[in-house]
Amino acid sequence: MYFMRLQRCVGAGATRKASNGSGLMAENTVALVSFVLTLMVFSYLLGDLPLIGILYRVAVYIFVGMTAAFTLVVSYEGVILPYLQDIQNVETSWTTLGNAADVAIFFTALLFGLLLLLKPIRSLTWLTNSVYAVVIVVGASVAVVGALNGTIFPLLQATAAIPEDLTADFSAMVDTLIIFIGTMSALFYFHYQVRANGAGGEQQSRLSRGFRHIGKVFIVTALGAIYASMILSSLTILTERISFLFQIGA
Amino acid sequence: MGLGSRAGLSAFVAFMVGVVTILSLLLGDNPALFGDQPGSDELARRLALPGDVLLRLVVIVVAVSIVIGIANLLFVHIGRLARRKFISAVLLASFGFTIYWYVTRQGDTSLLEAVQVPIESSLAALLFLSLALGGARVMRKRADIWGMLFVAVALVVLLGSLPLAELAPVKAWSDWLMSAPVSAGARALLLGIALGAVVAGVRALLGQDRAYRAYRG
Repeated sequence: MYFMRLQRCVGAGATRKASNGSGLMAENTVALVSFVLTLMVFSYLLGDLPLIGILYRVAVYIFVGMTAAFTLVVSYEGVILPYLQDIQNVETSWTTLGNAADVAIFFTALLFGLLLLLKPIRSLTWLTNSVYAVVIVVGASVAVVGALNGTIFPLLQATAAIPEDLTADFSAMVDTLIIFIGTMSALFYFHYQVRANGAGGEQQSRLSRGFRHIGKVFIVTALGAIYASMILSSLTILTERISFLFQIGA
Repeated sequence: MGLGSRAGLSAFVAFMVGVVTILSLLLGDNPALFGDQPGSDELARRLALPGDVLLRLVVIVVAVSIVIGIANLLFVHIGRLARRKFISAVLLASFGFTIYWYVTRQGDTSLLEAVQVPIESSLAALLFLSLALGGARVMRKRADIWGMLFVAVALVVLLGSLPLAELAPVKAWSDWLMSAPVSAGARALLLGIALGAVVAGVRALLGQDRAYRAYRG
């Protein structure tokens, strides 16, 4: 009876009808393990009490071990294995250079991976650093191109764009103006420029200080809204977890 | 090879690889850049090739380095276990059990449902308390106009999300805040992050990044 009640509480999984006894047992076990782990994580709220304090750490260690295992599986199944299978098939190729080039790329990458293991040997660290250089710089290049094409150009275009119905709708015009001034002043807030005054100190111009204050208003407003959105998201999850605990505990 | 020349080699490799990748990503697979000239498709495809090769190379290196990183994690915890820190046994057992589960019961996601999802969602739920506590601290330690503005905006957005007819004016305020001032601030923050990414990327390209320069063998 208790297991039947547990089964109703597993959310979407609970609605599935178990076709046999082992399926029902498995779902009940999932619910029970979820219940215990949720309580273990929430034990963090009780502080570092003897015996109870370790429950949170155990839950986190389980989580880390499992995440490491899943990451290993995804890295192997999602990247290494498909590439390994592709290079064995001479008729397929990732590039226009042919299968031989694929084999060369794969084994070069494996060699690079092995060179990473040489980091502790101080006289060979330069080899490891060269591999790091390739990885970091290719990543940085992708980030630069992505930032330019994916964020900077589209956002600047959207900020400077004038809506078509601007003359018809006064509030749209005001909003567009606010967004433009807000974006520019908030960007200017991060730009710090001073000039030397006669007494050997530094002084900001009044215009610059005023514009930075306007920018700060927009940044604080955005951060407040982001904070509220995060509160709402985490509150929704907390409510779901508490209702899960009550449903199983009832 | 001297220390300086080794460090210079890393910087040179970084610069060349970076320039080739950026040019390949920007110019490759985009025949429109070369107009209607004959062979522009072929030229664009050829320009995309170095970037494609380097990206594939790096993806495999990153996957291998993840495997090395996980092996390192396991060795560290085996060492901790040898020093009688028995909690590391939990991590090792969890890792071993997950791999065993994956090998013997492929496609079965019940382990994910039973362990990963509840722990992740419970940790996310704990975030609410940390955020609420943080907000209270902001008001206690920084009770100036900026702290008050921060809390006022957060309150308006929170109240605006409530489905109550009495709060319709607050919801209208919240919607306007989200569409104009918050949008402006968020755009500026995103632009700042993107500009920061560009600057960091260019620093790495120019060999100024310490990650592959600092530890000279």
